[in-house]
Amino acid sequence: MRLSVLILEDERPVREALARDLAGFADVVRVEVAEDVPDAWQVVEELDVDGDRLALVLADHRLPGTSGVEFLVQLLDDPRTARARKVLVTGQADQQDTIRAVNEAGLDHYIAKPWDVDELTEVVRDQLTEHVTEHRLDPLPHLRVLDAARVMPLLRERGDR
Amino acid sequence: MNPTERSPEQPRERAGGAHAAASHGPITDGELTPLVVFVVATEPLAGAVAAELRDGIGDLAELRVVADTDEAVRSLASTAARPHAAASTPEPAGGDLPSTAPGGGGPSPTDEGVPSLEGDAGEPPAVPLLVLGSDVGRVDAAIGALDAVPELTSAATLLITDRHVHDDLADAVDRDRLDGIIAVPWTAGTLGGHARSQLARWLSYHRAGDPRSAQLVDERSRPLQLPDSALLRDLELSPTEVSTNLLAGIERVLGPRPRLRLPPGVRLTHQEVGLDAVFVILSGSVALERSTRVGDLRLHHGSTGPVVGLLSLAQQRRAYFTARTTTDVELVHLTLEQLDRALRSEPEVVGAMAALSIRALADRLRRAEQLQVEKVELNRELDDERRRLAGALKELEQARLELVEQARFVTLGEMAAGIAHELNNPVSALRRAASYVGDDLERLLASHPDGEVAREAMITARDRPARTTARERAVRRELERALGDRQLAHRLLAAGVEDPVQARRLADRGEAALELAEAGSGLGGAVRNLDVASRRIAELVTSLRAYARPDGDPLEGVDVHAGLEDTLRLTAHRLGEIVVERNYGDLPTVRAHPGQLDQVWTNLLVNAAEALGGEGRIEIVTDAPDDEHVRVRIRDDGPGVEPEVLERVFEPRFTTKQGTVRYGLGLGLAIARRIVDHHGGGIAMVSSPGETVVTVTLPVAGPPDEEAA
Repeated sequence: MRLSVLILEDERPVREALARDLAGFADVVRVEVAEDVPDAWQVVEELDVDGDRLALVLADHRLPGTSGVEFLVQLLDDPRTARARKVLVTGQADQQDTIRAVNEAGLDHYIAKPWDVDELTEVVRDQLTEHVTEHRLDPLPHLRVLDAARVMPLLRERGDR
Repeated sequence: MNPTERSPEQPRERAGGAHAAASHGPITDGELTPLVVFVVATEPLAGAVAAELRDGIGDLAELRVVADTDEAVRSLASTAARPHAAASTPEPAGGDLPSTAPGGGGPSPTDEGVPSLEGDAGEPPAVPLLVLGSDVGRVDAAIGALDAVPELTSAATLLITDRHVHDDLADAVDRDRLDGIIAVPWTAGTLGGHARSQLARWLSYHRAGDPRSAQLVDERSRPLQLPDSALLRDLELSPTEVSTNLLAGIERVLGPRPRLRLPPGVRLTHQEVGLDAVFVILSGSVALERSTRVGDLRLHHGSTGPVVGLLSLAQQRRAYFTARTTTDVELVHLTLEQLDRALRSEPEVVGAMAALSIRALADRLRRAEQLQVEKVELNRELDDERRRLAGALKELEQARLELVEQARFVTLGEMAAGIAHELNNPVSALRRAASYVGDDLERLLASHPDGEVAREAMITARDRPARTTARERAVRRELERALGDRQLAHRLLAAGVEDPVQARRLADRGEAALELAEAGSGLGGAVRNLDVASRRIAELVTSLRAYARPDGDPLEGVDVHAGLEDTLRLTAHRLGEIVVERNYGDLPTVRAHPGQLDQVWTNLLVNAAEALGGEGRIEIVTDAPDDEHVRVRIRDDGPGVEPEVLERVFEPRFTTKQGTVRYGLGLGLAIARRIVDHHGGGIAMVSSPGETVVTVTLPVAGPPDEEAA
């Protein structure tokens, strides 16, 4: 089982830039990209088939068809995705959308475009760590992309077993 | 009527006429209209009335005694009809002109049982007086029946009654058809006197100059029209005559009074100051003024009256007005004591004083009433004015809001222009840099010993067409299957290699070659993304500039499609997930203010987007209905606009959203219409549920020229 990060972004240059910025995670974490919501669900499907676990979604707000916020809300209704961390990466979400994302989708973080690479990787590391500790996953296979200090108790606990 | 030069035909002139026989005819002085007095009553009242009337009016008028109204009407109709039947030149019935019967007035002999008018010149009789007995039934009904005959409507009507109460004459009172009420029994002679006075008054109103008036004199040979009492007599005199009488009376008591001559501007009384004298004005004018909260008001001038101070005597002797001469004035000064003495010793003074007081009061009252009417009129005008003002204020407020909105757009436009200008240089540099980086990298890699691998990977990545993320994953899966190594497949894909054979060949060349290819591919993708991104920025800048182009003279050669595209780009964030479909026809370029047109498209698109609530379809159709016009139709499949709303949709500030001013339905459409109007074009909206179309038609020739410059 691999942890997986899904990038949902309709503009190719932006999508590619995000994926490349997360290249450093790619040997441990499965990074998938989707250009629209139906394809994002397709990715969810594929992850499920492969037995991988969706740990984090980075979604743009503005998408053709269903909006990014709408997708984040939808995630809550699917047992395969309900536990994924949710981050909005957007340039122009207005206040209404943001409020909705926070209140209804349980948004975990908000990254404003244009993003800073260090901030982005830090947020991803932080969210993955949260996901692992929250659901008490075995941190060992993912340790390289996690905040080691925070998963240490979890490691000890498991080691004690 | 005036007797003319024509010779009297029946000169049966009789003076006085105190004892006229029952059936003899009236005095007819040739051209004089015969007069008939009706008594409508039953015996014995009829006889008593007739006797009195004979004494009162003698033979000035024929007396006809009838038992009921029908008989009166019949009797009059038969005599009135006669002239028409007999005379060859018709005269208006009841006309009071002297008859100009043909041939010097050939008389038409009469013998039809109405003996009274025999031998007259054919003139219908006039009826100056009706005496109605209360025994004929309801008074209103009786008078109503009599009024059916035109000659009777101007008759003075006396009611002789033995009833204590009358509730049957409201209509007669209301129509002013009742001139006197005499109770039975009456003092002998009073009824005759009444009739006589009524006749005299009727003649003076209706037959001014009738010589018969001269016979209607009282026992002292004074004309009967004049009242008998000193007070009523004085009231009928002119104010100057009365004040002359008053002064004469006063001087009879006090001896000659000195005349005071005063220039204009002298105050005779002072407001709220005690007053122990009156002034009798003999000549000149005095104004009455009062100082009030709103300043000194002149309340009377024409209505001052000839005695100043008189009314103040009735008010604790404090002057209500300040009386001030407005011309040279001659007057007589009388102290209270002097006035008192004159009043005590001379009845003439009392009458004159009372008459003057009544008249002064009446004049001032009339003036006050006139002021009241003026006040009401002024109030009404004020109300109208207030309403107009309120309307103007509302319009002003709307205009102001519109201006604010426009100013906001102007500010936004200026800011956009500023930003566009500022972005121009960096974006140009960016675009060039992207291109240089690409060129230089190609050169650099060509010089590298193993550069070919990297160069190829770079070019492949740079020029690779876009494909869906799903497709990319499929390619990746295929590669994974072919290589059996997920990690390697990932890296090769990142290096831009998709073909399994090629992939294996590259993998066989070793780690260094793979890394080189990865780097090259990354560079290629980056160069491509740089190019795409910078081109988009450049397009945005161009749009901004077009949008913000300041208004001057209209430009030739404006491309409507380009404006629509610019607008779509700039409003993309407002349109959200709405699908925009373009059906562009062939359009000539037009002469227009491009920035203003972009404003129109912006407002219409945003309005459509708001109607759709963020989801749906907008279709933009353009065509040229004829050689001189272009047409843009913006259609949305939103819920539609209610018919009653549709009528007002282009009015400023109108909105369907709970009275709040909204960009879309608020001023947006109004501004759009103004701009289109200004361009000499037209804008219209048709709407039904599921389809709303706004059509804008613009003349190719552009805005009509401003007034000849």
